Amino acid sequence: MAYLLQRLLTDAAARQPQRAAVASDGCLLTYQELDRQSNKVARALLRLGVAPGDRVGILAPKSCAAVIGLYGALKAGACYVPLDPKAPAGRLGHIVRDCGATAIVADDARRSQAADLATAAPLPLRVVVVGVPGRPEGEETAGVPAQDADVVPWTAVAGESGQPLAEERTIETDLAYILYTSGSTGTPKGVMISHRNSLTFVDWAAATAGLSEKDRVCSPAPLTFDLSVFDIFATCHACACLTVLPDGAATFPVSIVRFMAAERISVWYSVPSVLTLLACYGSLQQFDLPDLRVVIFAGEVFPPKHLTRLMAELPRPRYLNWYGPTETNVCTTFEVPAGWADVQPTPIGKACANTEVFAVTGEGRRVSRPGEQGELYVRGPSVMRGYWGQPAKTAEALVSNPFRAASDEFVYRTGDLVTLEPSGDFVFLGRRDSMAKIRGYRVELGEVEATLYRHPAVQDAAVLPVPDELLGSRLRAVVTADGRDLTREDVLEHCRQWLPGYMVPDIVEFRKAMPRTSTGKVDRTRLAQEQNELEPARDAGPDKG
Amino acid sequence: MEKVINDYISRELVPDPALLPLANDTLLLDSGILDSLGLLRIVVFLEERFGITMGDADLLPENFATVNAISAYLRTREPGKEAAHG
Repeated sequence: MAYLLQRLLTDAAARQPQRAAVASDGCLLTYQELDRQSNKVARALLRLGVAPGDRVGILAPKSCAAVIGLYGALKAGACYVPLDPKAPAGRLGHIVRDCGATAIVADDARRSQAADLATAAPLPLRVVVVGVPGRPEGEETAGVPAQDADVVPWTAVAGESGQPLAEERTIETDLAYILYTSGSTGTPKGVMISHRNSLTFVDWAAATAGLSEKDRVCSPAPLTFDLSVFDIFATCHACACLTVLPDGAATFPVSIVRFMAAERISVWYSVPSVLTLLACYGSLQQFDLPDLRVVIFAGEVFPPKHLTRLMAELPRPRYLNWYGPTETNVCTTFEVPAGWADVQPTPIGKACANTEVFAVTGEGRRVSRPGEQGELYVRGPSVMRGYWGQPAKTAEALVSNPFRAASDEFVYRTGDLVTLEPSGDFVFLGRRDSMAKIRGYRVELGEVEATLYRHPAVQDAAVLPVPDELLGSRLRAVVTADGRDLTREDVLEHCRQWLPGYMVPDIVEFRKAMPRTSTGKVDRTRLAQEQNELEPARDAGPDKG
Repeated sequence: MEKVINDYISRELVPDPALLPLANDTLLLDSGILDSLGLLRIVVFLEERFGITMGDADLLPENFATVNAISAYLRTREPGKEAAHG
């Protein structure tokens, strides 16, 4: 039997048909319902001519509809491509064209947005609407012409058979999803993940977090972020319940904690900045959270003092620090010991099962002694298939294993610099290139710069990260204009047309001329020094008195 | 005070120019203007602009529902009214 993500669902539906699979915004789906509804979506996609290997966009926030949609796409033999409904239309249009999507699955509220995206794309692109089972179609229906032949309404999808499909259309090396991340040359790049790549992580993650059918798992990460692979698939692996944090609750730390208490969340997975907010502003002393047994964080460095504070406020759960770029999913793990009160950064730990990591020094030697530094490489079945349609970029990232000359294996070069601890754990030191992390999101500074250069009045642009305890980094754009009047508002409005919110600079600084090095390059060191003198790194949160 | 806050939100947080001009009773959460990142930014702005320190008891949806709500909350935090801060 093939090793496929959709098998997790068919197996769960056979084992625990009546258990809750997804709870979101008042919608509760059992495994049996999720299985049947996704069969319907798969049939609707097949009826449109979706073929094995096709790309199907998912335009919906994490919800019952989104999970039905993505399993439907997988069952149809397609790979799914999450589309952030809040991203600018230009960026979504680029992703849809770049991956050559043949269909978009949208929830009812995103129906017109999906139809607009399909109309704008120079592709024969059809839209399949997924509603909430048992609920009538929403008011959006009224806004779309009834004769719109490119939209398959939920009423038509719901009329399909919910019985299992006769055959699997994929094998484990086929693509399961493509996740678009920031690209240094100005456009996002698509990380191609196969079923085998993903399941390597999913199997390990479910075992490591000790997931069982009793768990209620929550992660605020959107579908576009690879953290979502955990709560969508590892949860299903264990027949546990994926519990979606509503948009409204995600804004306020206290609302998040109230939600965790009310929904009896037992496993939490997020970037550290969300947990920092809970530690600083979550009123944790008022909540016991007796059900919470595992807290996992990944995506950026957790400032040690906030982790210490969180663990002091909530001493009961296990705390796991997971590390891994989208290209490999999680590849190392560190369980933070109880009573952790270290001022040093939390280690990223050791390799996960079935994965190997090693660091290579500047001289090309393998890091073997404590204190040595090098760039981290990852090998094993979780390493991506490459970047969609970008063989040159793929060749830069997937390189021959430097220590196995005879092997034809490719290993992933992370670009992350690490050092080895006496315990054998790795510790993250920084980046080899110009990538920053904003709340766990990767931001290629070059992509923001390329966007700034697209503005006709911008002559020179440099974007630098400014360290920030709460946000990981803030973005500072230094701009010179070609004599025309250019305001901060002009620059921000231009950026918002092309970039998701987390990539829009916070600070815009105008200069008459850009400082340059002797070779004529923008002098980033000088710009960074000036920033440090101007404003020391901001601290987070009030101290508890 | 309302103007200072409205100006800041209009300039820094409104994601779509179609939402401008911003009314002081526009629901900031329902309209998607205020997300978790926006909340942090406005907290930092308010702390610096009004010389206050906000703790977890202050970061409540009711205090940030609208420009008017933020202003009303800030008035309870004016010097001499610190006791209102739990």
